[in-house]
Amino acid sequence: MRTLRVAALWLVCAGAWTPAQTPTKNPLEGDQAAIRSGMGLFRARCADCHGMDAHGVRGPDITQVWASGRTDEGLFTTIKNGIAGTEMPPQPRLFDHETWQILAYLRTLAASSKPETPRGNAENGHKIYQANCVGCHRVNGAGGRLGPDLSRIGAARSREVLELRIRGGVEGFLPGYEPVTITPQSGAAVVGVKKNEDLFSVQIMDARERIQGYDKSSLKELQNNPRSAMPAFGSNRISESDLNDLIRYLQTLRGFDPSVVQ
Amino acid sequence: MTRLAIPLVILGTALLSAQQTTPPALVTTQEIAEGLPRDGSRWITFGGSYTNQRHSPLTQITPANVKGLVPQWTFQTATLGNFETTPLLRDNILYVTGPQNVAWALDARTGRQIWRYRRELPPDLTACCGLVNRGFAMLGDKLFMVTLDAHLLALDMRTGNIVWDATLEQYKNGYAATIAPIVVKDKVIVGAAGGEFGIRGFIDAYEANTGKRAWRFYTIPAPGEPGNDTWAGDSWKTGGASVWVTGAYDPDLNLLYYGIGNPGPDYHSESRLGDNLYAASLVALDADTGKLRWHYQFTPHDVHDWDATEVPILADLTISGQPRKVLMFANRNGFYYTLDRTNGRIIMAKPFVQTTWAKEIGKDGRPMTEPGHTPDETGEITCPDITGGTNFWPPTFDPSTRTFFVNAREACMTFYSWKPDYKAGERFTGGAGQRYTSTTMPVYGALRAIDPTTGERKWEFKYLRPSTAGLLTTASGLIFSGDNDGYLLALDSRSGSLLWRYQMGANLHGTSAITYMIDGRQHVLVPAGTTLTAWALPQ
Repeated sequence: MRTLRVAALWLVCAGAWTPAQTPTKNPLEGDQAAIRSGMGLFRARCADCHGMDAHGVRGPDITQVWASGRTDEGLFTTIKNGIAGTEMPPQPRLFDHETWQILAYLRTLAASSKPETPRGNAENGHKIYQANCVGCHRVNGAGGRLGPDLSRIGAARSREVLELRIRGGVEGFLPGYEPVTITPQSGAAVVGVKKNEDLFSVQIMDARERIQGYDKSSLKELQNNPRSAMPAFGSNRISESDLNDLIRYLQTLRGFDPSVVQ
Repeated sequence: MTRLAIPLVILGTALLSAQQTTPPALVTTQEIAEGLPRDGSRWITFGGSYTNQRHSPLTQITPANVKGLVPQWTFQTATLGNFETTPLLRDNILYVTGPQNVAWALDARTGRQIWRYRRELPPDLTACCGLVNRGFAMLGDKLFMVTLDAHLLALDMRTGNIVWDATLEQYKNGYAATIAPIVVKDKVIVGAAGGEFGIRGFIDAYEANTGKRAWRFYTIPAPGEPGNDTWAGDSWKTGGASVWVTGAYDPDLNLLYYGIGNPGPDYHSESRLGDNLYAASLVALDADTGKLRWHYQFTPHDVHDWDATEVPILADLTISGQPRKVLMFANRNGFYYTLDRTNGRIIMAKPFVQTTWAKEIGKDGRPMTEPGHTPDETGEITCPDITGGTNFWPPTFDPSTRTFFVNAREACMTFYSWKPDYKAGERFTGGAGQRYTSTTMPVYGALRAIDPTTGERKWEFKYLRPSTAGLLTTASGLIFSGDNDGYLLALDSRSGSLLWRYQMGANLHGTSAITYMIDGRQHVLVPAGTTLTAWALPQ
């Protein structure tokens, strides 16, 4: 009884969400109390397989689920029902609000969910993007391919992470974007990003965006470059004000938009 | 009618005479005890023989000609999930278990299916770590297979139909079964999985003819039994200690040797203070009664999920001039052990990968543990990681060079723990881990050749990423392995040099190749992902 009362009180406090139907968007996203509860639930029910940081241990990495196009509603269903024929179990005893709490917490592992006051001018940000980024990155089917596609970046990365990345404060590479230089037995060195590698071969995209595989035995050298191909854009290259605008533009990118014709 | 009857009579007579010249002999205990025959006509128990050496006497495929291997056929499972099985071969027929408790009899000449069995599984299974199965055992005209809902089935070898169905335990309470059984005399030996679900583990023996349980050995002693005092309070009731990897058997000593899984909850020390016997141990049981003869605990009070569910290998070695009956064991905790299998005493123990939790084993047989390796809410870094220095994928032993081979992993992890609540049938681990990488502790794998008398490494072959493939060696000096990128590899077992490779499209996760003769040609059979491929030299 006490549990019911507490739950009912909680529902009132939670505001927008009603249990009648599954909302399409997490009603608790960014709610600090929900995130704290979600952390406890995630650790107790999910972390054993997916890892404390959700980057995967026995089960897969789930930090990129939104970036890969999954929706709140779809993830809610996956948690509740599990995935038949796999080890992902159904959670019949998990209340709906607990499921949303888990997702609210998981969001924080993928991107900050702090409520943000919009700042900057997206229109100017788009111009800065076109001037500095489009050569390597792609949005809605237009742009370069050497860097990650950014069509969903606004849903996948927090403002803080975007800022750090652009300023050069984050090192490390996404799989598939590790910078590499390969030198054939004869001919010039080829610079690109590594798409795959095993003991005997390496697959790259070169600076001309040609994808190609190489037998390691045919190479003179395979050099993994320590720094990302993404340059650091200091304030001498992009001012604070322009950075705000750029990030504002990037935040509008929340999924491939077929209506956008570049 | 008359027209039909005559051919039928002829056919019947032909069949009868065929049976008389090549009678469909039942699988005998003698055959099983003989292990791998020199003529390569069978592979009828999990490790090839009771010793689990997985060392074939066949020599047609050699280091000199292995480059000429060509595929003979590929079989596709058409099921969800991957192989973790060791196929069995007898009388030119393969008997193979797959994921989701599907199983097949295949013509070993062509890979064509003869029959298929599929278990109707309940939707609310609680099996941890893969809906897999590790293989059949056989005796008489029956095959024996455990199921994910914790049953043991006997199937008719000729039809795949069920002969009997024994319940090990209730799957709703967290029990499952994935182990390949072995047959000893007239009994089928199995164990239960569920170490992440608060079970109380056991090893069972069932009468092969009837499915009646002959004995049970609980891997956690009950109150009043020796060892129960190694579990604080009631923690023994939910202490895990599962059994999901096949053991070995010594017919002369009549002892079964099984590695026991982790104590539960996996990571939370205070929930189960004490050594937690016989979790993370090797037990030697009387095969007729299931009574414990001796035990050795590799990891007292394990808090890193280091099941001792690796495959034990038996051999007779001369060490320091003395003939010794040994048991070789590369453990998930990062140590390699050579034990005296008559009494469980350590002959030699040494790390075979980087270990930070303990550097050596003391004279009393206990690891000399380093401080700071008990997980808590803030996390602690330990090497090896949760998957361990090695795991359930089978190692091999070549008696001619006295070399133990194992696919080893170099990896570390941040371990966390907190107090869990037990609910029947739900996960009960009390913690989690997080992969740890740094420039000083790179993650990689290696196939290592170890001298079991000294623990010294003879050679290694490094992989980019840790491999989870099992191994096969042959008397011609070959070792078959796989890397985690899907390559099937053949190496010179004396030097570790790579001789041949083929991209299978999936890694040999937990599976080993087996080898046998068909119509005078040596075949190598490789389960990888959802395929089974047979290789041989060109005709």
